[in-house]
Amino acid sequence: MEIEDIIQKVWARVRRKHLYPQLPLPTVIEGGEDVALEIKSKQLSISSAFFNKLKEKMDGEDIVEAVLDHGITHYMYCPWDFYTHITLYNEAKKVVRQKDQAQRATTYFMDVVTDTYCVKEKDTKLAALYKNLPQSGVHEVLTALYEKIWGEDLGSGKHEELVNCLSRIPYLERRKWGKSIKKFTKVIQDMLEEELGNEQQSAQSEPNPMGEHSLENYSLEEIDRGLREFASAVEDLQEFKETVEDLKEELEEKGYGTGGMGRGKGNAIDANLLYYMKLAESYTLPIKKIPIEKRGYLHPHAHRPWEIGKPFADIDVWTSFGKVMPGITQMWTKREGETHGEFEGTPDSLIIIDSSGSMINPRERLSYAVLGAACACNAYLKHEARAAVYNFSDALRGNKIVLDFNHDKEHVYQAICRYFGGGTALDLDDITYLLSCADNPDIFIITDMQITNLEKLIDFFTGIENRVTAVHLGHNVHAARFKDATEKKKNISLFNVKNKEDIPKIVLGKVKEYLTSPS
Amino acid sequence: MKNPFEAFHHAGILKREIPLDTILKSKEATLAKILAGYEDLLKNEAKDLVWLMQYSTVIKAYSIAEKGMEGIEYTAEDIEEFCYALDHSDQIPYLITGPAGVYISALCNHAEEEEITLHLRDLNVKVNLLGYRLPPHKTLIVEGNVGDFTGIGLDGGELIIEGSGKNYTGAGMKRGKIVVRHNLGFNTGHGMTGGELIVGGRIKGLGKIVGGKVFERDQLIFPNEGIKPFYF
Repeated sequence: MEIEDIIQKVWARVRRKHLYPQLPLPTVIEGGEDVALEIKSKQLSISSAFFNKLKEKMDGEDIVEAVLDHGITHYMYCPWDFYTHITLYNEAKKVVRQKDQAQRATTYFMDVVTDTYCVKEKDTKLAALYKNLPQSGVHEVLTALYEKIWGEDLGSGKHEELVNCLSRIPYLERRKWGKSIKKFTKVIQDMLEEELGNEQQSAQSEPNPMGEHSLENYSLEEIDRGLREFASAVEDLQEFKETVEDLKEELEEKGYGTGGMGRGKGNAIDANLLYYMKLAESYTLPIKKIPIEKRGYLHPHAHRPWEIGKPFADIDVWTSFGKVMPGITQMWTKREGETHGEFEGTPDSLIIIDSSGSMINPRERLSYAVLGAACACNAYLKHEARAAVYNFSDALRGNKIVLDFNHDKEHVYQAICRYFGGGTALDLDDITYLLSCADNPDIFIITDMQITNLEKLIDFFTGIENRVTAVHLGHNVHAARFKDATEKKKNISLFNVKNKEDIPKIVLGKVKEYLTSPS
Repeated sequence: MKNPFEAFHHAGILKREIPLDTILKSKEATLAKILAGYEDLLKNEAKDLVWLMQYSTVIKAYSIAEKGMEGIEYTAEDIEEFCYALDHSDQIPYLITGPAGVYISALCNHAEEEEITLHLRDLNVKVNLLGYRLPPHKTLIVEGNVGDFTGIGLDGGELIIEGSGKNYTGAGMKRGKIVVRHNLGFNTGHGMTGGELIVGGRIKGLGKIVGGKVFERDQLIFPNEGIKPFYF
């Protein structure tokens, strides 16, 4: 029977066994005879050369079933998603400090978890498959480990000391995977070094018979979601930065850039920017809407590539060649019309951020000021409003960024994340200029209030009617002065941020009395 | 009415017991016994959460520790697991680094393996008194930094610290060898009567040394012309 026929026959059985995963029918690829499986964006592909080589030793159906069990379990159990994958990588990296070694350790660990889960929970032929696979280097150790923890005779039995250590790891306890991979990596560290050293010398890599686990397995949406969760989970910016820098090449290759998801090679990734972007996405700041005049229905404005997860309704069939496929299909970006009406809407926003010496450098540690400003920027941009940025330290000496109102998230983030250090003074002419560029925009200011010309700023704010959301970090006399001076102004709301958890409490454009309620 | 989920009944569910389950259960059981022995030691020796480091209290704590671990079958990995359990677990009401070190030393001294390696780099707490009374033919390798009183009363074994130690390292050492890759604190080798203390980095200060040899960065610093043996 041909391999295609075997796949057809076995697939129904395997799907049922794994409770009907949402995966397409596996395909056959020419491939090499050393690697059984390739997984790209959920498409499992079995190498025909591998199959032909192994079928002399093992029943064809059993080979296909075992390989598919392995592939599906990666999808269904470990790593399950991109977040788990990079979390495991991050933990392995803490032990070995080398990217190649950490990647290899992660792959091996995920294979052990996956296969052990299969052997325990499913009726699988994986043991028979491993018995017939070539055994050398780390693979030999892993086969010996399987022999011990599965209780199957796989013809190994070497590396007793290593196997004793490895067999004490609770592979099937998901909540312990972080610690487990660290221990796993520590135990096989010497072998990994040797394996990679040999590969460098011979300029030939030792392939993993069950396939490699690269970013190819994930869609851009999964990567985006994974990075968001990872940014919230890591202890600090440096940890995130290190992992993203390691994966930068693969991410860019895949088309993932700081500007978001897209086709082809995206913009170069700035790990710092990405960290604040992803972290800010975890917080939603509510915006109080106001009645605005220029408000109308949405109309198609421009084309952009369609991605999985985006609404089908926005697809432009005429420019998509009748196909629904990421990369080919085009969708409409909509903009508001000019129709006048009494609708509530979101005005544009001017984000003023203090990056003086008393503030934390956002590229070294998590800066609540940048995170807060990023959340505010997200909130306005999400409502199709525009954002302008005024980033200042000693503005009168030129230490400032003045970014006009625009919709480009990446530009806004770049302006927010810039750090000057040094003194703190605002140039109110810049703010007056920016306010004149939009129709009654909201103002979001985040600072520790230790501003040289604070009195002038207070006078300025008390003289305008724009909604002002002022966020101060920590308590000091300057913050108290600002509070006292603006207490009676109904368009100014003051919030204090002491930690990350205070950020969602900010309500943008909150007015003490809703003066302009629609009639 | 037909059950719409009938197709899922028994589908793919096997859940068989594999040797890994037995290994993990046995590991948990051993750890529980070791922890029970440690809690006994704490009940006897640190009732008020205070433990004074004195010659007599260490000897007494060691003999209680030996009794507490009687009959427990364990390996070097179990000792390492215990160290991390001390650091992270909420099973243990309190971690007092003195009794903990005495207990770990007793475990190492009575382990079946002749060479024990403890990977303690990720430990948040620096355990004191590691390597206490390490007997001949035993090698204890500790990866990571250790606390005060490391290798005191060393009795012929070889203690290798792949990191730094603090004060009173090798105090009262009788024979054997202590190798420290990095630095040591004050009163190093205080009261030691024999053996060798080899330090790869710097020693902040020596104690009153009676006998034996101390090396700092391959240089013999005791005995030498500047530092003579002390007689108590």
